[in-house]
This record gives sequence, C-alpha cells and structure tokens, in this order.
Amino acid sequence: MKLAIDETRCKGCNLCTKVCPYKIFREGKKLNRKGVAVPELDRPERCTNCRLRNLYGRQLCGVCQLTCPDQAIHWIEEEPYEPHKVAIEY
Amino acid sequence: MSFEDWYRQDRLPHIYCAGCGNGTIINCTLAAVDSMGWKKEETVFVSGIGCSSRAPGYILTDSLHTTHGRALAFATGVKMAKPDLHVVVFTGDGDLAAIGGNHFIHACRRNIDMTVVCMNNQIYGMTGGQGSPTTPLKCLSSTTPYGCAEPPFDLCELATAAGANYVARWTSYHVKELEKAVKAGLETPGFSFIEALVQCPTAFGRRNKFRQVMDHVEFLKTHSLLRAKRDRLLEQGQPLPEDMFVVGELTKRNRPAMGVKR
Ligand SMILES: Cc1ncc(C[n+]2csc(CCOP(=O)(O)OP(=O)(O)O)c2C)c(N)n1
Ligand code: SF4
Ligand code: SF4
Ligand code: SF4
Ligand SMILES: [Mg+2]
Repeated sequence: MKLAIDETRCKGCNLCTKVCPYKIFREGKKLNRKGVAVPELDRPERCTNCRLRNLYGRQLCGVCQLTCPDQAIHWIEEEPYEPHKVAIEY
Repeated sequence: MSFEDWYRQDRLPHIYCAGCGNGTIINCTLAAVDSMGWKKEETVFVSGIGCSSRAPGYILTDSLHTTHGRALAFATGVKMAKPDLHVVVFTGDGDLAAIGGNHFIHACRRNIDMTVVCMNNQIYGMTGGQGSPTTPLKCLSSTTPYGCAEPPFDLCELATAAGANYVARWTSYHVKELEKAVKAGLETPGFSFIEALVQCPTAFGRRNKFRQVMDHVEFLKTHSLLRAKRDRLLEQGQPLPEDMFVVGELTKRNRPAMGVKR
C-alpha cells in the first residue's frame, strides 16, 4: 500500500501534520496550481497502514484519513516487489 | 468497504473552508454507518440549514436538506412513515438549539429511533459568525462584539434531561472515539445524540485567538475532561476545572422508544 494526497482536494489545512504518530506529513512549502501548499510526505513507507494492511486484511490506524476534512488522503495498491535481473553492459 | 464509498465523489471537494472541522465529523459518521453494514437504499440522511447541514448533499444515499431548524421534524416524519429506514441527522448548534430547540427537546422526549450528530462550532458559521446558544461566555462573535454575556446551553445535559436514550460528546480531535460513539448511537434503539465540538476557523477561530486551525483543535484536545476522570473528581469531592468540558459516553439507557424497526 502506498500513501497519497489528492492534490485536487487538499486545502492545505495541515491538520494531517499534527495527528500522524510518525509525523509522516510535513508542512508543504510550494504552492500548487490551486494556490495550496499541499503537505509533503516524509518516508511514507513507515505508515502502519502501508506496511500491514495487506497482512491484517483491514484498515489500520487511519487517523490521518479520518481527520482530513477534505477527504484527500488515501492509499493506492502497489505491485508486490519484484527483484530485477541486473544486466551488466560492457 | 470504507467510509469513502458513501461519498458522492463527483461532488467533492466540498465547499467548506480550509480546515473546517465539519468534513472530519462527516468522515467519522460515515465510517460508523459503514461498519453497521447497512444498505444505502435503507439509510436516509436529514439536515436543516447551515454549513454543517450541507453534509447530506455529499452522501450517496437518499437525503433531505430541509429548512432551518426543522431537520428533526422532517426526520420524525420519515421515521413515522417508514420505520424500517435508518435515519441519521446532521445538524448545527444554531439549527438544533436555537431555531430548532423545541423540535430537539420533543424528539428526545418521544425518544424517536434516530441518530443525531450535531457539529457544534459554537457559532452561526454560514451567516457570518453570529452568536449561537452554545457560544461560550466571553467569546467574540459578530453579535457579541464585547464578549458573550449569556451562559451557553449544555446540549448533552439538555438531551439527557429531555429523555434521549444515548448521549455522547467528543471533538474533531477524537476521531476514533467519535466513530465509536456514533456507532453506539446507531446501535441503540431510540433517540441517540452525539455532540461533536468542531473548529470553524472562518467565523469563530478568526475572532477568538485561534489564528491557526490547529490551535483550536489543540484547545479542544487539552480542554476535554474524560467522563471517567470527572466521575473520579466528583467522587473525591474535588472541584471540576471550570474551563473544561466533559467528553465521553454520558447517557445510555433503555427508555421506551418510538419508530423502532420491527
Ligand atoms: C427560517 C430561517 N431563519 C434564518 C435563516 C438564516 N440562517 C441560515 S444558516 C443559519 C445559522 C446556522 O448556524 P448553525 O446551525 O450553527 O450551522 P453552522 O453554519 O454553524 O454549521 C441561519 C440563522 C434561515 N436560513 N432560515
Ligand atoms: S488534512 Fe487533508 S486537506 Fe488538510 S493538509 Fe492534510 S491532506 Fe490537505
Ligand atoms: S494511517 Fe496513521 S501512521 Fe499512517 S500516515 Fe495516517 S496517521 Fe500516520
Ligand atoms: S464558515 Fe465555519 S463552519 Fe462554515 S464552512 Fe467555513 S469554517 Fe466551516
Ligand atoms: Mg454552528
């Protein structure tokens, strides 16, 4: 699972930066097209739900998602990790 | 399924101001409704007028966005005509306690089987920040420019005194607790009332020294007195802190109810 913020919905209230126990959300600095400073994600792979949702088969933590007043936080399915063959070119 | 499946995605983003707590309360309510396993065709959301009352417009089920103060009157009608429907009401402090005050106490007295979620921002948000019956003492609003001089209503005590079967209070900071309280309300036959204190940065926060959205949420967090702690203080005969409000499940009982699904 991969954590993501929907830029078309986020209004930059920064509530998510205060509620995550891992402090994954950090106040954004750059304004986007809508004039909103969308928070940045700091190593989102630490999120409980990213790591363990598929193992437990249910939503875990999710405090940021419930708190986000603009329904902007969600998770995307990720392809399972596949080792790639390293091609060495001479 | 998750609460996201109950939203009309085509209507989002909603019109609430940045940082408005109403969106959080809708999330928590929908999460509770979702966990009940109810069908969308069997669930109806009803509201009056106000920022908070716009909530049903963003939800996929059938809904009624009625007139100011009359959400409970319309919801009573729905429940009496079709007791098999699950009725959830979104309302604001002005909608519920000012113009709709009489409907509120009588719905509690009748103990009609519905769940009412009141987003209490302690102000009339939609019309530009007039004082409401829950505006705390000394707080500034456009109709109390020198500070509110009237004591506010305690909506939960009001609901309990009037006869509601389930009463709880939480804030927009306590998302998980709020979700659980709404779920308990949905499960309880009879009238369930859940008060959610929310931040309104535009009409309330701006005038009352909450410059940042989080300042108000932090205030709500630090001024919440857990019910168990209050009970302990009372037992020990100690005074309750004056500037705090009680949060938690405040009433749960089994008075005879109307309109319960057979
Ligand atoms: C009969 C009637 N009286 C007055 C109004 C104007 N009015 C619209 S919303 C509102 C107050 C809303 O306050 P609240 O219920 O607390 O909702 P909030 O916007 O704070 O969420 C008022 C007085 C109206 N629409 N209808
Ligand atoms: S809580 Fe939601 S709307 Fe607010 S900054 Fe975070 S992602 Fe954006
Ligand atoms: S689900 Fe919990 S741990 Fe994961 S980002 Fe949200 S608040 Fe942080
Ligand atoms: S005026 Fe207040 S209650 Fe209304 S949308 Fe804005 S912040 Fe929310
Ligand atoms: Mg209000």
